[in-house]
Amino acid sequence: MNDNPGLLLVTLAASLLVAPLIFLLPERAWLARTTLNLGAALLKLGLVTLMVAGLARGDSYAFGFTVVEGVSFQLRADPLGIMFAGLSSLLWLFTTLYAIGYLEGSPNRKRFFGFFSLCVASTLGIALAGNLFTFMLFYELLTLSTYPLVVHRGTPKALAAGATYLRYTVSGGVLLLIAVVALHVLAGEVNFGQREVLADLGPEHHAWLIGIFVLLMLGLGVKAALVPLHGWLPQAMVAPAPVSALLHAVAVVKAGAFGIVRVVYDVYGIALSYELGLLTGLAIAASFTILYGSLRALAQVDIKRRLAFSTVSQVSYIMLGISLFGPMGTIAGLAHLLHQGLMKVTLFFCAGNYAEELGIHRIDELDGVGRRMPGTSLAFTLGALGMIGIPPLVGFLSKWYLGMGAIQAGMSWVIAVLVASSLLNAAYFLPILYRLWFKPGPLEGVGTWPEERRLGRLETSAWLLWPALATAAFSLLAGVFAGLPFSPLSWASLIATQEYLP
Amino acid sequence: MSLAHMLLLTVAWPLAMAALVAGTLAWRHGRALIEQRSSGRYVVPPGIAGDWPYRWRVALWASAPLPALGVALALPEASLTLDWWLLGGEWRLDGTRRALLGFTALLWALAGGYAHGYLGGKARRARHGDPDAERDLQAFVLLWPLTLAGNLMLIVAEDIASFYTGFAIMTFAAYGLVVNAGSREAYRGGRAYLIMAILGEGMILAGLLWAAASAETLTLTGLREGLAVAPQANAMAALLWLGFGVKAGVIGLHVWLPLAHPVAPTPASAVLSGAMIKAGLLGWWQTLPLGLTALTGLGRVMMIAGLIAAFGAALYGVTQRHPKAVLAYSSVSQMGMMTTLVGLALIAPSLWPMLAPALVLFAVHHGLNKGALFLGVGITEHPPRLPGWLLWLLLALPALSLAGGLASGLMAKWVLKAGLYDAGWSWLVTLLTWAALGTSLLMARTLWCQAHAWREARRHGAAPAPLSMTLAWALCALLAAAVPWWLTLPEAPAGAVQATDLPPWGELPGLLWPVMLGAVVTAALVVACHLEPRLHTRISRAERLPPGDLWPLYVHLASSLSGPLRRGVARLSNAQETAQDLAAGCGRHAMAWLMALQRWEAWLRRWAVPLMVGLVGVLWLALAG
Repeated sequence: MNDNPGLLLVTLAASLLVAPLIFLLPERAWLARTTLNLGAALLKLGLVTLMVAGLARGDSYAFGFTVVEGVSFQLRADPLGIMFAGLSSLLWLFTTLYAIGYLEGSPNRKRFFGFFSLCVASTLGIALAGNLFTFMLFYELLTLSTYPLVVHRGTPKALAAGATYLRYTVSGGVLLLIAVVALHVLAGEVNFGQREVLADLGPEHHAWLIGIFVLLMLGLGVKAALVPLHGWLPQAMVAPAPVSALLHAVAVVKAGAFGIVRVVYDVYGIALSYELGLLTGLAIAASFTILYGSLRALAQVDIKRRLAFSTVSQVSYIMLGISLFGPMGTIAGLAHLLHQGLMKVTLFFCAGNYAEELGIHRIDELDGVGRRMPGTSLAFTLGALGMIGIPPLVGFLSKWYLGMGAIQAGMSWVIAVLVASSLLNAAYFLPILYRLWFKPGPLEGVGTWPEERRLGRLETSAWLLWPALATAAFSLLAGVFAGLPFSPLSWASLIATQEYLP
Repeated sequence: MSLAHMLLLTVAWPLAMAALVAGTLAWRHGRALIEQRSSGRYVVPPGIAGDWPYRWRVALWASAPLPALGVALALPEASLTLDWWLLGGEWRLDGTRRALLGFTALLWALAGGYAHGYLGGKARRARHGDPDAERDLQAFVLLWPLTLAGNLMLIVAEDIASFYTGFAIMTFAAYGLVVNAGSREAYRGGRAYLIMAILGEGMILAGLLWAAASAETLTLTGLREGLAVAPQANAMAALLWLGFGVKAGVIGLHVWLPLAHPVAPTPASAVLSGAMIKAGLLGWWQTLPLGLTALTGLGRVMMIAGLIAAFGAALYGVTQRHPKAVLAYSSVSQMGMMTTLVGLALIAPSLWPMLAPALVLFAVHHGLNKGALFLGVGITEHPPRLPGWLLWLLLALPALSLAGGLASGLMAKWVLKAGLYDAGWSWLVTLLTWAALGTSLLMARTLWCQAHAWREARRHGAAPAPLSMTLAWALCALLAAAVPWWLTLPEAPAGAVQATDLPPWGELPGLLWPVMLGAVVTAALVVACHLEPRLHTRISRAERLPPGDLWPLYVHLASSLSGPLRRGVARLSNAQETAQDLAAGCGRHAMAWLMALQRWEAWLRRWAVPLMVGLVGVLWLALAG
C-alpha cells in the first residue's frame, strides 16, 4: 500500500508556506504578492484535483508521526476530507481574485493576505486531519488566523466584533479541548474512520459518551453557528466582504459543520450515534436553528446581516442532513456542505460589489440596481433562488435529498421544517430581487446612489465581477449537471455509499 | 441524435432564445459601457430595440414554440433519458402529453405573433429613446421564452425533478410578465400572484417530497403508483391538490387570477389563462392516483370545491367591469368544473378511462378558446379594419364555443355528458349543465364589456390593431373551434363517445339549452335596462365588487398573524443578546477582579519588607513572651 505522503504535504505547504513569504514581501510589492497568491491557489487546486483523481483510482494518501506516546499527528486524504479540501481550494481561488480587487488601494494588504493564506491553510489542515487531535490543532489555528481578518478595518466596531468572535470561539475551543481529552481518557487515540473503537465500549460507558458528544457539539457548534451559539456571526459582518465570503462559505462556519460531520460519521459512527439517540437531539437543534435564523433574517435591513442570518439557517441544513439516519440524509448533508458554499460565496461577493461600486449597504438602497449592475445582480439572483431551493439550482438538490432522508429516517416533520424554511427564504430573498430588477432607481431618476465609484471598464472592477459570475455559474451548473460524475452531488453520493453505510 | 432528442429541442430552443436575448443585452451593455468610459458618468446603454435587422430578430424570437408544435404534430411516441440532468431526467411524449404540448405550443406561438403587434408601439417608442418602453420591452422579450421553456418542460417531464423545475421556472418567470406594465395595479396583481404561487410551491414541494420518498421513486408514474398504496395517501394527495390548485384556481386559492390577469399584457394574459393554468391540472393528472385507487374523502372535497368554484366564480364574475377580469373568473369557473371531474375520478376510479380523454379535450378546448377570448380583448380596444359582422363573428365564436354552444365546446360537453350518463352520474350532469348557464352569462358579460370598449375605441379613433395581432387572434379563434379535428387527442375506450363524434340531433336541445337560456336572459336584461333606467343603476351598483374578492381578507389575516410572530422572535433575540451581554459583563467583572488582585500584589510588593520585619517581630515577641 502506497501512502503518498508527498502530495499531501506539498498541498498543505502550498498555502501554509505562502503566508510567511507574503509577510516577508514589502507592502508595495503588489505584483509579486498577487502572483504568489494566485500561483499558490492554482497549485493547490491542481494538487487537490490530482488527489481526487487518485482517490477515484483507489490510491491513498496519508502522513503521520507520534507527538507523545498515545497522541499522534495524522494527515489523511479520504473522500470526505478531499471533498472539503476541494471546496476550499476552489473557493479560495475565487476569493483571492476577489480580495485582490476589493482591497485595491487600501492599507495593510500584506497583513491581510498573510493571514488570509494562513486561514486557508488551516482550513485545508482541518479537511485533511486524520484524527481529532490534528483536527483541533488546525481548528484553533483557524480561530487565531481569522481574528486579524475580522478586525482588519481596525474601527471600534470591528474591534468589538473581533472581541465577541474570540470570546465565542475560544470558549468553544476550550470545550472542544475538554471533550477531546475526555475521549482520549476513555478510549485512547481514535483515528477518523476507526468507528469500532467507541462502538465496542460497553454500555456502562454510554453516559460518558453522550456527555462527551454534547460537549463536542457545543464546542463545534460555536463555529457552526448553532443557535444559541451563533451570536458572533452577525457581528462579524463588519469584516471586509471577501473575509465574510470566506467565513461563511468555506472557513469558519464550514469548519464547525465539517467537524460535526467528522464526529458523527468518523468518531462515533452513525450507527452508534443513532443508538445513543444523539441524532434526534441534533436534528431538533438544527431544525430550530434553521427556522430561527430565517426568522431573524427577515427583520434585517443590512444586506450582509441578512445574509449572515441566512447562513445561520442554511449551515444547519448540513447538521440536519447528517442527523437523518440513512444514506439519503448523509448525501443531503454532505452535498449541502458544497452547495451552500457555492451559493453563499456568490451572495457575499455580490453584497461586496454593491458596497464597493455604489456604496450600498442597506436593502432599501438596492432599488433599480439591476439596471446599473446587471452581471452582479444576475449572480445575486441565482444565489438567492438557489437558497430558496428553486430548481435547477443546487439548493433544490439539497432540499430534495433532505426530504428523502427525512422520510427514510421516519422523521416526516422535517419536511414541514424544510417547507417553512423555503417559504421564509423566499420571504427574505424575493423582496431583494424585486428591488433589484423591478423598482425604479436612480437610473430612472428616483433617488441617488449612496456613493458611486467607477471601478472598472464594466459595471464594476473585473476582479470583483468575474468571481461572482463564476461562482454563480458553478451553483447553476452543479445543479443542472448533477448527474455527471464528480459533481458535488455525485461525490457526496459516492462517500455516502462507499464509506458510511454499515 | 435520435428522434427522441427532438424532445430536448422543444425545451432547449426557447431557452436558447432567452439566452440569445440575454446575450444581446449583455453585449450591448458592455460595449456601451466601454464607450462611455471616457465620460466617467454612467448612462443606461441603448437596448435591443435598435439592433440587427428587426424583422429577423422578431422572427427568430417568435419561433421559440415551433419545435414543440412540430414535435406534437409529427413525432411518434418517444421517451428520452438524460443521465446528466439534475437527478436523472426522463422526458416522454404520450397521448395526453401530445395533446397538451400541441395546444400549449400553438397558443404560445399565436400569442407570440400577437405580442409582436401588441408591443409594436412600445418598440417604436423604445427605438426613439424612451427608456421606460425599452425597459418593459427588454423584460418581456427576455422572460417570454423563459416562461415558455418552463411550461413545455413540465409537459414533457416524466421525472419529478424536471417537472418541478419546469413548474418553478414558469411560475417565477411569469411574474415578470404579469408586472410588465409597471403600474401600481400591475404590482398589486403581481404581488398576489407571487405570494400565492410561493405558497403553492411550498405545498407542492412538501407533497412531492413526502410522496416520492415514501414510494422511493424519481418518476411521476412511480409517484402515482406509490400514492395509490401509501397509508397516508389522503394527506399527501391533499397537499398536491392544493399546491397545484393555486395554479389551477381552486376556490379560495384563486384570488390571484382576477388580480393578475387583467393587469398583464394581453398576450401574457392569454397564455396565463389558457396554457399555464393547465399546468395545475396537469400537476393533478401526473401526481394524483387517478384511476388507480379511490380516495373518497379527498375526492368529495374536490368535487364540492369544484362545484362552488363553478357557480361562485360565475356569479361573482358577471359583476366585473373589466373584460379580462370577467374572463379570469370564467377561468376559475371552468377550472372548477375540471376540479369536479378530477374529484369524481378519485371517488370512482373505474370512470377514469372514460374521463381522461374527455378531460383532455375539455382542457385543450378551454385553453385555446380562453386564449382567443383574451386576445380578442386587445382587438376590441384597437378595432382592426374588418367588416363589423366578421369582427363580431370571430369574437363570438370562442365565447359560444366555451359556453358549449357549438364546435369544440359542444363536442367536449357531449363527450362528458354521454360518459357520465352511462356511468349513472346524472345529477352531476345536471349540475354541470347549470354551471354552463353561468358560463353563458359570463360570456355574454364579456362580449357586452367588449362592445362597450369597442364603441369607446371607435369614438376616440384608436389606432387599428396591426396585422400580426389580428391574424393571430383570428387564427386562434378558428383553430380553437376546430381543435378536435386537427389535434390528435387520446382515444376514448371502445364504445364510448370519441372526441370527433358529432352528437345526434336528438341530444341537441339537452346540450344547448344553457346557451339559449343565457342568451335569452341577457337579451331580456339589455331590453329591461333600456326600458327602465333605474334597473340599470341598480345593476351598476353590483359592478362595484372589486376583483380578487377574498384577497383583502387574506392580507388582513396575514398582517394580524405576523405581529405576534415578530414579537416572539424579537423576544428570543433579546434573550440571546441579554445572555451575550451577561457573559461579557461576567468577563468584565472577572477582569476587574484580576486587576484588583494586581493592585494588591503591588501593595504587597511595596510593603513586603516592613511586613516581613513586622511578622518576624510579632513572632519573636510571641516566642519570647
